[in-house]
Amino acid sequence: MSATGFLIRKELQLLGRDPHGLALLFLMPAVFILVMTFALQNQYSLNTDTRLDYLLLDRDQSEASARFVEGLGEVGTFNRLQDSGDEEALRARAQADDAKFLLIINAGFAEQLAAQQTAVELLFAPGTSPIFTGVVESQVSFLLKRLSLELSYGELLESADDIRQLINNNDLYSASSLFEGEQQYPTSVQQNVPAWLLFAMFFIAIPLSTTFISERQQGTLTRLRSQGIGRGQLLAGKLIPYFGINLLQVVMLFLIGLYLVPWLGGDQLTLGQHPWALLVIALAASLAAVCYALLVAQLAGTVEQATMFAAVCNIIMAALGGVMVPRFIMPATMQQLSDLSPMAWGLEGFFDILLRGGDVIAVLPEAGKLLLFAATMVALATLIERRRA
Amino acid sequence: MIRIQNLRFSYPASQQPSLRDISLEIGEGSLFGLLGPNGAGKTTLLSILSGLLPCPPGQVWINDLDLAQPGTLQKARLALVPQEYAFYLPLTVQQNLEFFAGVQGLDKQQRQQRIAQAAAQTGLSERLGDRAGNLSGGLKRRLNLAIGLLNEPRLLLLDEPTVGIDPHSRHFILQTIAALNAQGTTVIYTSHYMEEVESLCDRIAIVDHGEIRLQGELQTLLEQQGSERLSLELQRPLGASERALLAPSVTVSDCGRQLDAQPAQLGEMLSLVQQLQHLGIVRVRYGQHNLESLFLDLTHRNLRD
Repeated sequence: MSATGFLIRKELQLLGRDPHGLALLFLMPAVFILVMTFALQNQYSLNTDTRLDYLLLDRDQSEASARFVEGLGEVGTFNRLQDSGDEEALRARAQADDAKFLLIINAGFAEQLAAQQTAVELLFAPGTSPIFTGVVESQVSFLLKRLSLELSYGELLESADDIRQLINNNDLYSASSLFEGEQQYPTSVQQNVPAWLLFAMFFIAIPLSTTFISERQQGTLTRLRSQGIGRGQLLAGKLIPYFGINLLQVVMLFLIGLYLVPWLGGDQLTLGQHPWALLVIALAASLAAVCYALLVAQLAGTVEQATMFAAVCNIIMAALGGVMVPRFIMPATMQQLSDLSPMAWGLEGFFDILLRGGDVIAVLPEAGKLLLFAATMVALATLIERRRA
Repeated sequence: MIRIQNLRFSYPASQQPSLRDISLEIGEGSLFGLLGPNGAGKTTLLSILSGLLPCPPGQVWINDLDLAQPGTLQKARLALVPQEYAFYLPLTVQQNLEFFAGVQGLDKQQRQQRIAQAAAQTGLSERLGDRAGNLSGGLKRRLNLAIGLLNEPRLLLLDEPTVGIDPHSRHFILQTIAALNAQGTTVIYTSHYMEEVESLCDRIAIVDHGEIRLQGELQTLLEQQGSERLSLELQRPLGASERALLAPSVTVSDCGRQLDAQPAQLGEMLSLVQQLQHLGIVRVRYGQHNLESLFLDLTHRNLRD
């Protein structure tokens, strides 16, 4: 084995003896992926075939209300739950998040519609996403307006086929992703696996920088240099093992998305049409992460400083980069700000492949940004090291 | 043999040179004590010798090879044992020795043989499976030394190898160093413990402010400085007014708590004893010149200052 081989083996032995470091690199992202994927499954599910559960109370029990209920049943995203019981019981169920909303049809429903007054009451479960409430409100509003037209101008509509067709026509627009046959927005598992993977990859900054600082403080670097170990060998001895650890994280966390999440009842992670392109973005992100770790090691004077600095920076990069909050729900200004985070570049690269059917060429801009980031980190680290010497 | 001629060195950020015209000769097989207060330039000198700092050409030769030329260090078979525990505390003794032997390019058989040898020399053979971080301070020092022995050095640079350990371990390490030297290893030894240097080294150099103040055979140097000496140790430090009473040849050290003088000033000192009684006289000593008093005379500083 060469000197570099011994340096790599030593680094892995040190990490193997560090249960906290291992938990940070492997256990933490795995737990995050599982918890966040299932916790947010419904928040992302508008893009999938998951339906919104609701309870219904018909105080009117008229022919008009029956037609409205029939219309609700035709809405593909709605799922009416068993809703026998009085109003108090139904409210309690909605309050307890059994259903996303409780829909109450007022007595005198047809008359209220005719008078253009409130005919239906929507009560949403606490914490229901504004995305869901918007969808429900627009669907209910459309059904009410259509029914109102039918009730007021029924006979006229019977003879005016073109107007009736217009009301029921769903072909006035088409909806599809810009990327043919692919999704525009991720599912919960598609968002969380690459997001927490990137978060974990950048967390190598903690074990890498702390061993570097310990070596500097304890004179081990001095000893190694006095034994003729060059800068290049020392650097390779740090970068190669952590590069390998990053790749291990990629494999492990993708396997969780591919097999464990669906086994536990969640959606399965799909790898897109060019899964090998994932390797390109993973390698670029890994290089960015290890080079960032080198800069942390040079910036921090002590192990404590490095741990604190790396953790805080990672959390800021993650919050900004769409790891914790998906970018597509951020306001435009925040989305622009988010472009500053290398985690956002990595995440967009993963989405190019997982959602948009992208290949290696498609991820080159993001990979390029990550490589530029890596080069900048190394340049800064070298500058600081020279000043320190 | 190491020959240093008019060596000057300045750190890039510093305006003051760290070493000024250092000239030294260290014979092959000698046990050489390098002494000096903190910041005197000892570590800089060791760093240059071990290749950590660039060596100007034509100023340092090891076995007649210019240190500035590539390959000289490898041919010199040199090992530096830093003052810190320069190994990995989470790894075992065996893993540390394996690693440091491995990075030197030794093959498996050589590694096994050298590890066994270094462990035996430092009394660590029974502790190979122990985690380095769990060793006592004395055993850690031995491991630090053992790593330095892995390349069977012909030149061993020891930077404070006995700091902070119990007398038993100190004795063991000093014995090991003496045994290595007896086998022909040239040793350069720095320490704050004068009695160690005095008992171990045959030649010394005292460095202060980047300059060699004195060098040569220890015994000869002590004899040259005169054999007798008077010391006065005070409970409270001297004030400015009391210092003004002293003759220039009286050395004050230990932050004004210790006075040293040649016996020629004996009468003067005795009158001083009268005058300084209010400061509380802890001890009066009269006797042979030793390395510590020699050092104090030259540097006017305690080693630990």
